[in-house]
Order: sequence, then C-alpha cells, then structure tokens
Amino acid sequence: MREDTIPKLSKDLCNRMLTDLENARRPVLEAIKCSLDNSNYNPKVGYLTPGNKMVRSELNVASVQKMSRAIFILEILLRNIETGAVNTKRELYYISKGEVKHNPELRPLDFGDQSESDSIIDFICEMMECYREDLNCYANDRGGQTYSNQLVVTETLPDGGKAVVDLSTLGTSPFQPKNRPQSLALKAKKKIDFCLVVESEGTANTFVTNGFCRRNNAILLGAQGVPSNAVRGWCKLIQDQLKVPIYFFGDLDAYTLQNIFRTLKAGSAASLIRNSDFSAPDVRFLGVLPEDIKKYDLADYPVKENDLQEARALKKASDALKNDPFFKDKKNKGLSKILEWLLKNKRRCEQQSYFTVDPRDPIMPEKIILEKIKRGDFI
Amino acid sequence: MAKQKITSSSTAEYFSKNLQQVGFSSPTKAVLTTLKEAIDNSLDACEDEGILPELYIEIEKVGAGTIKNTDLIRIKVEDNGPGLNIEDVPKVFGEYLASSKFGRGRCSRGQQGIGISAATTWAQLTSAKGARIITKTKTMRQAVSCLVEVDVKNNKGNLKDKKTISWDRSHGVSVEFVLDGRIQLQGEGGLITYLTGTALVNPHLNLRYKLLDQSVVKVDRVSDKCPDIPNAVEPHPHTMKLGEFIAHSHLFGKATVATFLKKGFSRITDNTFQEFVKNGMDKKFLTQSVDKTTDAQFKDVFGAIHKTELMSPSTRSVMIIGEETFSKSVRRLGEVDFFSVVTRKPTICDFKPVAIEIAVARLKTAQKVEGDDSPPVQVLRFANRVPLQFDKSACAMVKAIETVNWRSYGIPQPKNSLPLGPYVIAVSLVSPFIKFKNASKETVDASDELVEEIRRALIQAGQRLSRHIKKEHREADLEEKLRHIEQFCPILVDCLCRITKATEKRKKAATEGLVKLLGRDVNAAKKELDEALKHHKEAHAKGKIQIVEKEKAKSEDGEEELKPPHPEDSDVIPEAEEAPLKAKTEKPASKAKKKAVAKSKEKMKEKEV
Repeated sequence: MREDTIPKLSKDLCNRMLTDLENARRPVLEAIKCSLDNSNYNPKVGYLTPGNKMVRSELNVASVQKMSRAIFILEILLRNIETGAVNTKRELYYISKGEVKHNPELRPLDFGDQSESDSIIDFICEMMECYREDLNCYANDRGGQTYSNQLVVTETLPDGGKAVVDLSTLGTSPFQPKNRPQSLALKAKKKIDFCLVVESEGTANTFVTNGFCRRNNAILLGAQGVPSNAVRGWCKLIQDQLKVPIYFFGDLDAYTLQNIFRTLKAGSAASLIRNSDFSAPDVRFLGVLPEDIKKYDLADYPVKENDLQEARALKKASDALKNDPFFKDKKNKGLSKILEWLLKNKRRCEQQSYFTVDPRDPIMPEKIILEKIKRGDFI
Repeated sequence: MAKQKITSSSTAEYFSKNLQQVGFSSPTKAVLTTLKEAIDNSLDACEDEGILPELYIEIEKVGAGTIKNTDLIRIKVEDNGPGLNIEDVPKVFGEYLASSKFGRGRCSRGQQGIGISAATTWAQLTSAKGARIITKTKTMRQAVSCLVEVDVKNNKGNLKDKKTISWDRSHGVSVEFVLDGRIQLQGEGGLITYLTGTALVNPHLNLRYKLLDQSVVKVDRVSDKCPDIPNAVEPHPHTMKLGEFIAHSHLFGKATVATFLKKGFSRITDNTFQEFVKNGMDKKFLTQSVDKTTDAQFKDVFGAIHKTELMSPSTRSVMIIGEETFSKSVRRLGEVDFFSVVTRKPTICDFKPVAIEIAVARLKTAQKVEGDDSPPVQVLRFANRVPLQFDKSACAMVKAIETVNWRSYGIPQPKNSLPLGPYVIAVSLVSPFIKFKNASKETVDASDELVEEIRRALIQAGQRLSRHIKKEHREADLEEKLRHIEQFCPILVDCLCRITKATEKRKKAATEGLVKLLGRDVNAAKKELDEALKHHKEAHAKGKIQIVEKEKAKSEDGEEELKPPHPEDSDVIPEAEEAPLKAKTEKPASKAKKKAVAKSKEKMKEKEV
C-alpha cells in the first residue's frame, strides 16, 4: 500500500461519517469478517482468502464508545504516519493513556488494558483493509532466524539507502528477518537447493553448529513456534524471489499441523486480509510423518487427554476436519489424513525423536531429512 | 456360628455409643444439635397448647472442655410453654423413644423422641452431668428444679437434686446443658444462621438470645397467630407394608374388616370395596371380624387393595406459613432489598402430603457483588420448620435449586450449580412424613417427585423476582445509554472534525445530528423501561413482589416497624437500645431515573448551545 493511501482513506472515511452525522444518518463502519466461517480456500491461490461476510458497525448508543475509540486511535496513527514515527501495540496503548491523562475530557475513552486498544487497532486495520505495519504499528521481530552460506539480502532502509547482508559472513549468527519483508530483496550467490524451516529454534541452532550449512547449499531457519508475521512474510519472499523448494520439519501433533504449519502454508483466519503476503503455499510438510515412527522406530508417546492444552488441540483438530476449508480441500488430503491419524491413534512424536535413531551420530537427523527430501518423502 | 453369649442392649446404650448418628458427630455440631433439640421441643410444646412462643437462649463458655480442643459450654433454653409435669421430665429428657409425637403423622418438629435424650447423654458423657431442668405448669404452685441423667443400661431417666423453687413465670420449661463443644456463630453450620432461620419460618416466635459475651439480640414476632397444626389423617393403605397392615388391624379387635378398612385408613369407602372385590378379594371377608381373619386372608385383602387405584392421600394434614406471614418474616433475614414469596398448594409427592414454601430475597450489600464473580447464594433449608444446616449437596432442596435456570430471571448461575449473588433462597418443606437421609435429619431425600415440586415453587418465585430484576436492568441500560451520549458524542465529533479539518458550522450540524440520532435509541430504551415498569407495577400490586424501601417509607408514617435488628450484624443492638431502627427512606427508583433523564437532556442542550 502506498504511503499516502492511509491518510487519504482515513480522511475519506471521517468525511463520510461527518456528512452522515450532519444529515442525522447513522454512519456505518464496515470491515471484512476475519473468521473461519468467512474463509475460502482455493488450491490454485494457495492461501485462505476472505469471503463476502462483512462486520458492520452502525453508530448507535451501544457502539458509540467503540467508534469514538477507533477514531481517537486513528488520529494518533495518522500523526505517526505524518511524522514517520513507529510504535508497537503496547506503546500505542501507553500513548493513548498519555493523551487521556493530558486531556481529562477524553477520560471516557480510557482503555482498561492493552487488549482493548489492540482490538481497536485490529478493527482499524480490517476497516482500512491494510496491515498494521501500514499504520506504522510494528510487532517485535520474532522467530525466523536464518542461516545460509549462499543467501544475500538487500534491505531498503526508510531513508532510501540500501544495506546488503551476505549471510555467509555472519558465522554462526543468524539473520533476523523483519516484520515488513516487503523492503527486503533476496539473491543467491550460488544455486540454493532447498530451504528448511525447523519448528524448534533450538534444533535449528544444533543443525547449524553441526555444520548443516557447510554441507548443504540451503537456507535453514527456525520458526520458533507459531510463525510470526516476520517468519510468514520471509518464507513467502524466499518462495517468490528464489523459487526454491521449502520444507517444514516439526513435531507430529495436532497443534503443529494446524497452528504452525497451516499458518505458514496458507495463513490464518484472523489475518485473512494479509494472507496473500504472509503465507508460503509451496511449503511442504517433511515430517515427522506418521509412517516415520515405524520406519525409523522413533520414540513416540500417547497424548495425555487430561492435559487441557493437548485435549483442546485434539478437539480443534476434529473441528478443523469438519470446518477448515484448508483441511477440507482435496489438495491437502495428505495433511487431513495425518490429522485423522492423530485423532484415531492419540499419539504424538516430536521432531527431536530423530536423535533416537542413532544416538551416537550427531548428524543423523540431517541425514534422515536429506534422505526424505531425496526420496520425495513429504506431503 | 460361634458359641458366644448373646446379650441384649438397651436403646440408650446403642445411641450413647452412636451419638454421631443423631447429630453429635463433632464438638461444633454437638452445640448446635443440643440447641436445636431444645428449641424444637419448646416450639412444639407451645404450638400444641396454642401458646405464642417466647424463647430466651443463652450460650456461653464456662471453661475448658475435657475433650481436646473443646470448651465447656453452657446452653440454656427457656420457654413459656405449658411446662412439664415432674413425672414426665425423666421420660422426656432421659429416655430414648419416649415421645408424644412418634408416628402420629403430624407436622411436628420432633418425631421420634431421640434428640433431647441424646443431648442429655452427650452432656453426661462429656461433663459428667445431665440436664438441669426447671419446670412449672399452670397447676403447680412452685416450679421444680432437678437434674436428669440417662440410665444408659435401662434406657430410663433418673431424677436427681429435685427441689421446689420460686420462678418468675406462670408456666414454662428451662433446660440447661453443660457440655464439651465448640461454638461456631456464622456460616452454614453457625448458631446465628440457625437462629435466623428458625425466626424466618416461625413468624409467631419472640426470640431473645445472648451468645458468648455479645449483647442480647431480640427478634420480635411478626404474626400474633399461633399456627394451627392440622390433625393427623388416617394412613393411606398404599403407604403400608403387609406386616404393618396386619399389626394395624389388631387395634380393631372384634370390629369387622370393613370397619377396620374404613376407619383405619383414609381414601377407603363403600364404593372402593366393590373395586377390591373386582380385584380378587373375597366379599365375605368384609363382614368377618378382624380377630377371626387369618394372616393369609389379610394377605388377600392387602393384595386386592394394592391392585386397586385409590385417591391420593389427603393434604389436610400439612400446614403452611402462608405468603402474607412469610413475607413479614423474610424481612427478619437482614437488610432485604426486595423479595418474592411463594406458597404452593399442598400436594402429594411419593404418596405423602407435602407443602412447599419459598422465599427468594436479595440482601443489600455494601459492594455491588452481583455478577459472575460473586459468591453463591445463601440457601436456607427447612424441614417441618427446622433449619437443616449440614450435608446440603445431597438434599432435595439444593438439587431443585440447581436444576432451575436462574439466568433467565437475571440471576447469574454457573452450569448445574447454585446461582450467584447476594440472594437468600429459603425453601421450607412441611410434611408429616419427611424422608430424611439420616437419623440426624440433616438432608431430605431427593426423590424425583419432590425435587420437581420444589423446582416448580422456585420457578414461580424466580419469575416473580425477575420482574424487578428486569426493571433494574432496563433502568441501568437507560442510564448507561444516557451516559454514553453525554460522554462520547462530543469526543467523536471533535476527533472527526480534527481529522477532516471541518469548519465550526459542520461541527455544530454534526453534533446536532448525532444527538438526534442517539436520542432515538434512548427513546427506544425508555419505551422498554416503561414496559418493564408496567409489568413490575402489576406484579407489585398483586403482591407477587415486595420492595422493602416502600414498606419502610410506610413505617415512617406511623405504621408498625417490621424489621428487627439483623442478628448477623457485628454490632448487635444492646438490650437497652432495643428501639426500632430508623428506616432510611429512599426515593423510588423510577423517579430517580426520570430525574436522570431530565438532567441529561439539559446537559445535552447546554452542549449543543
């Protein structure tokens, strides 16, 4: 989105609202409904896209507080855009507190806690159909630490300057991708064979220390759990600009498959409007696959059904099979079969279990991964 | 079988070894059960003679107990009942199963004649002294004081230290126990909870009590009518077993079987005999004398009776407090905000007549605690006007409360649990045959029929209450809407104008438009409130819901003050200051809201200018 678009959109919106008020008409704010029931999945597109459902907020006595808060925060964001200042959500929460402190008339708008101001910021994004980064509101860059001996990243700085980072010069230090990957350009010094996304940051570190990047022409990155915007955007960039195959290596459990892998591959229902830039539909699930347990005699263990989190993940898995357009689609039958297997067998197997195959060989997991890639043993 | 000597034990011996079965399972319960038994006896005695009861209770610590972690407690209960003849004293206080009420089928508090003798036994076991009694009947010139002890071996009461004394009352009984126990005042098993509950379901009771070193608390009666205890009706044949049936027949000797059946049971008439015959009874049995009827023949008769459908038992034997009197009594619960009372018509549950009465009251609290975080409601359970304080989860009354959907009446409630909030739900069950789960009469058995009957009563009470709660919600809603308009309209318009850099003219027009817009919402809310007020007014006029503020306003006009000091208040009223509390008059809620609307309108106009 162009930098001057948001101020213009905002002014138009406010003008419309003001005109409605002058004519004693109820202003209506409309935003795309970001939920699973308004998500579509087209295998040709590859990520979840929004349906036709909209959330309409009509001004009335009940909604006047939310609307006032939205316009109040919008004013702060517009000021930021004008001056070029950036903030996190938490900082914006405190900025709003400061505004209220210095202007007692605004006291009714005061936020009780950060979740209240966060939801208003999300509402503004949905209304404007923009990313919060477009509103100069950034999250901290989390996850996605990347290692490669072949990759060169060029970053366009806010002042227009360029910064070039050759990852091979960083030693065992990782490159940290940004939440706004649009400002990054990628180049391969030498042909890159594949990109491996490892769910556990620790395991990715181990691979690097054990010489993964020395032995392979590859990009290795740690997802650090549920992928952040930075990880999602970064993978999309690797997919689009380098056109190398991307493999995801993580635990075999319902949570990893739905919350981590699905988000990386097709985005999430909560971020329907930005999935196009924050998902990498070509990423493949390398494992752990159910058949790997038998094939490599991996140590697995039963799902503790009295564990609230695991029980919730299983329940979510059965819901996903029924309602999630991603898992319902024929193209992802292999993934939904894994979910079915998990529900049926109620067992889980962690990525680190590859270390049980040959406990004295520190690069055994790497060998298995390469063998699986070679054999096409992924989904 | 081992060749051991078989010995017989007396009833007293059994109970003295199993006092936990009759409410003496802990030192705390021992104090409460002793007090309860003494009060039950006093109230039953007064009601039998049509005397309006006046009770004085004193409980104090007089030293350390002999059992670990107990105190030596003195419990004294004095009544103005008819008094006991001295020859009855050892039977009443020292002999188990000696009762004037056993199996009579009346709704008296005591039934078997176990409780007070058990209290004497506990006192005797722990302090080596029985019960100190003072009694005086109308015909006695002087009162008699004596000590009763239980002869455990022979199940008999022994009198000791008997002497005549002068007593300042014409008739009555004073009973004093000194025993090991522990005193708990508040909470579900607390003495004050028990006394408050007793006052609630006995509106005709004048109660004074002094607990520990607190001042005397006085709870005045709110009804001058001594309840008529209905006479027992004859048993219903379907509630009997064959052995009971034959034993019952022996009372009729030479009378014919027809006479035995008609006079010995309810719901048997000449017409039903024909039905019995149709169902296999030999007609000639009817004219045969009871004496000459064999057990086999009785079995035939009994079988035919059970095959025949009979009318349900009569409900005449149950008594009720009545909505009017119960309403007055509810105000004795404490600072009541509003309440509803329901008295169900006596009905039959599990072939036994029962009457259910419900009071649901909201107490005034210092903080606003209504909501999902508030503690559960206080449940007061009564069986034949005796508070039940233990083992509530299995009780029919609690089960019934949990099955009602209180959320629909505006009271928060977690799933399958007691509702939440500063409410008191009192459930009174009266029946000549209450099925308790244990001998200490702490829990009423939860049969489906009984739970359903209680549930219906609760639903009625909840519906009545909901009219007031709905009105409150609507009022709060309107107030919130007005506040929102006042607070947010100027901010919204200001923000919009700053972003669009709008002119003052636009700003003024937008403010006017916004006020107009939101005014429509307020009008809709007002309409809803008016509707709720209308329903509320109707309910109030029909007496379905009672608001305490209005009653208080009346009392200032010279009417009788109804609310006694709240016994749960920490600062109880000392004897010298027993003057009625001055009621605070609060403006009716609707008036306050009208003012708020007018005030807000004025403010809005100011802003527009």
